[in-house]
Amino acid sequence: MTTATVTGTGGRRVAGRRRSVLSDRAYRGGLAACVLLFVALVGWFVVAIVIQARPAFSTLGFSWIFQKTWDPTHNHFGLLPAILGTLETTAIAMVLAVPIGLGTALSLAYLIPVRLRPPLSTAVELLAAVPSVVYGLWGLIALAPIWRSTVEPFLSSVLGWTSLFNGPNSGNGLLLAGCILFVMVLPTMVAISRDVLAVVPVEQVEGAMALGATRWQTLRKVVLRDARTGILGAFTLATGRALGETVAVALVIGNSPYLAHSLKSTAVTIPALIVNSFGEATGTFRSALFGAALVLLVIGMVVNSVARLLVRRTARTGVASVAVA
Amino acid sequence: MSTLVLDASTDPILERRRRVQSAATASLARRKLASRVALGVCWLALAIAVVPLVAVIAYVVTKGLPAWSSDFFVHSTVPEGVPGGGIFNAIAGTLVIGAVATGATVPFGVACGLFLAESEGRLAAAVRFVADVMTGMPSITVGIFGYIAIVLTTGSYSGLAGAFAIGIIMLPIVTRAAETAIRGVPVTVSEAGFALGARRSTVARRVVLPTALPGVITGVLLAIARGVGETAPLLFTIFGSQYLEWNPTQPMDAIPFVVYTNSSQPYPDLVQIAWGAALLLVAAVLVLNIGSRLLAAWLRRERA
Amino acid sequence: MVVRSLTAAGAVAVLGIGLTACSSSSSTTTTTAPPGGSLSGGNSSYLSADLKAPAGTLLAAGSTFVQPFFNSAFYSYTGKNPGLKVNYQGVGSGTGITDFQSGTVDFAASDVPMSASDLAKVPASSGPVVQIPDILGGVSISYDLPGVTKQLKFDAPTLAGIFDGSIKTWNASQIKALNPGVSLPSNAITPEVRADSSGTTYIFTDYLTTAAPSVWTLGAAKTIAWPSTAVQTPKNSGVAASIKSTPYSIGYVELDYAIANHFTYAAIKNAAGSFVTPSPATVAADADQKPTISPTNFSIVNEPGTASYPIAGYSWAILLEHQTSATIGAQVVKLLDWTTHTGGGQDLAASLYYVALPPAIQNQNRTELLTVTGPNGAALLTK
Repeated sequence: MTTATVTGTGGRRVAGRRRSVLSDRAYRGGLAACVLLFVALVGWFVVAIVIQARPAFSTLGFSWIFQKTWDPTHNHFGLLPAILGTLETTAIAMVLAVPIGLGTALSLAYLIPVRLRPPLSTAVELLAAVPSVVYGLWGLIALAPIWRSTVEPFLSSVLGWTSLFNGPNSGNGLLLAGCILFVMVLPTMVAISRDVLAVVPVEQVEGAMALGATRWQTLRKVVLRDARTGILGAFTLATGRALGETVAVALVIGNSPYLAHSLKSTAVTIPALIVNSFGEATGTFRSALFGAALVLLVIGMVVNSVARLLVRRTARTGVASVAVA
Repeated sequence: MSTLVLDASTDPILERRRRVQSAATASLARRKLASRVALGVCWLALAIAVVPLVAVIAYVVTKGLPAWSSDFFVHSTVPEGVPGGGIFNAIAGTLVIGAVATGATVPFGVACGLFLAESEGRLAAAVRFVADVMTGMPSITVGIFGYIAIVLTTGSYSGLAGAFAIGIIMLPIVTRAAETAIRGVPVTVSEAGFALGARRSTVARRVVLPTALPGVITGVLLAIARGVGETAPLLFTIFGSQYLEWNPTQPMDAIPFVVYTNSSQPYPDLVQIAWGAALLLVAAVLVLNIGSRLLAAWLRRERA
Repeated sequence: MVVRSLTAAGAVAVLGIGLTACSSSSSTTTTTAPPGGSLSGGNSSYLSADLKAPAGTLLAAGSTFVQPFFNSAFYSYTGKNPGLKVNYQGVGSGTGITDFQSGTVDFAASDVPMSASDLAKVPASSGPVVQIPDILGGVSISYDLPGVTKQLKFDAPTLAGIFDGSIKTWNASQIKALNPGVSLPSNAITPEVRADSSGTTYIFTDYLTTAAPSVWTLGAAKTIAWPSTAVQTPKNSGVAASIKSTPYSIGYVELDYAIANHFTYAAIKNAAGSFVTPSPATVAADADQKPTISPTNFSIVNEPGTASYPIAGYSWAILLEHQTSATIGAQVVKLLDWTTHTGGGQDLAASLYYVALPPAIQNQNRTELLTVTGPNGAALLTK
């Protein structure tokens, strides 16, 4: 009887007992089939959108994506205001979500008394359950007045030198949308980061402390470093949510299809543009909206690639090394 | 190594030891301070995160709780001016759509996550990238895809079309979270399984997945919470209905759909139903969350 | 090829179908509340025939504006005619028309009738399209002006200036001239408008184009290129919420919304020169001034008459003239006939803050609906 070769993650041959190569192959084959099905599904999705978007590109070329005039009634479909609006709101959301989310995750994983961890974690994850239209209405009804009367004037006085906070205090706008998005992506950032931080091997943590590292040094140099790819995963999911959020943003951003001159301006994002116009759009307008969806897909790809590159550059192998794909 | 010292004050070794000690003490003081500050920042982050949490939940509770009554849960939708209406039809719809979407997505996503966690090759890298990018797709586009793929081809709106769209949103989340959780299982654990002679599928099923279960459950939970709360994918797929409908091939209602349509009604009592429905979503996810934690703890105990 | 004559055999056949279908109902609604509305007066003869539609389920989609009214009217109708289920969803006029063009719904509703290009997309084999007004509504100019309790007055040129961004502050001379004695603040005006395509936008801009053509240059359409100072929010309720939470803002909001939520709205100068507050009565007065309307001539903004409120419009129901299914055709036609007449659905308009159709339009509707035929070419409505 031939001994079957099992290539585990260490690539070792385990000789001696006969085992079914077939069942291992079937297992791997089954998983691969699932993954290929997944890719096929996504491929179908992309192809469907490309087909719908093609008329816009064949009629208008490619430059319309970067033009700044959005006026469908006169066949102007400049996407630049929407692209910038999407990037700006997502940036605000992630600038807030990464430190606060990571800090919260660290607290939940290491600092909070063990008994309090499940209820507090559950509480933060509950934020994910609130439907997006509720976030939008909460932002519009409860937060916009506060932003207009307190938050925006405060930020203008403190950070006005950056010239990011010029103009009137409108309440609605990029800043409010970014803050709402922050709240919406926080549970994703916190929950996944917390899980990843919590499974860092305890020997590593104890080893570091035994060497005399302070708690923060341990967290920084061992825990965070070890969990880096997992945190990247959390960041990716969170950014994905922020880029694609539709209804909540449409309610608070003011939907003004012009280039924003400050963080307090009203602006528009690609998903908001799509949800507002899709029902009535026909012909080239409709194709242009699908084209906008494609642009968002590309933006997502770029953001993802940049994030991976940053992580890969600081990657180091460790005992419990997690390969960066 | 020891050296006979005749004069303590000029001994280079002792001098060096003194210098190192004072440097170490100073370093420790510095690092301790840095640690306190950094940890304080972490606590601050937690405090900041709790503020919107309390604010949103309080807002939903204060606006939604008045809508909760026995009628609310047991009766179907009625128009303005007719008393005794509820969202039972929407609850049924969400259950049907959620069940179909979760049933299709979870096994599929966990399988994909397993594959990704075990593979290093180019296919895995490409799939991971694709999954990440898919999470960034606006939910409205996914809904429109569901409309094109299912509604237009079958000629009718249906709960299935909605489940399809919701499933597409859930799938990358489950996959990515499952992969992250499975990767967190120390390689020593799975290698122990192989060393005992187990097949890959057995190791995966009995060793890796159970160990990764808490993380996988978190991912599945996040996906379900996101899935049942998503509105935009339902807008062009399920159509909505004021009638009770359990058949997924028919148009039906759903809780986030009720929130969306009722919140834009002119009449305050219909708007209140929207808030009540939103509160129900939050409560349901809370129950799901607590339930799954208990489940994970029980599973861990059973295994041990 | 449209058979317009109604033979006795055809009438008997339709009644026969209706009666036999009624006996095999299978309603699965779980609601127990009693239906509202009641039949009264002159039209009861054909209205009772309308209630004998065959059993089944209808799907309809379109305007969000009429959704509350349709939901209420159809609920009342199906309460009296169990066995028929009517599922109407306010997906938006445009999507409703698209669904109608692709045959996914049995009839549609739109705030603006189908244009020539819309009609061209209906498959030729489906035949002509019938469009009838189903309800009347007004558009209020609502505002949030802290400290000012007196109702403000506006006219079309001033509104045009506010909404195209040329009038920037509340104490501008044009506003002061219309409102003597009111101390207006110097704050900037925030115009609140619709982000999504909307029939309400159409009616409002139609008014501005008709009453202030030299000032308003942005056209009359469902989507407008608003200035950058305007805050755009999706849906009527979004605009309303935005007005409510933004001091010194002003926007256009459907009247039923403004009344139901106790908004502060302005008196608008009509064609006769009077400043009129929007209400069901003043909207009806405006509509009464134009007793003949058609899908190609449907604007009723800025009509003459001292009591007319100038910013008003109809919403339209859309169906095929040649119905391919006798059952569905009978259901659609009878439902719409009942809904658009006094004694039927129109009785529910007032309690929901809509405005009932003028009698002239109701009669016009009846004539139109009588032209709708089933697969055998016979009219589906009993005369």
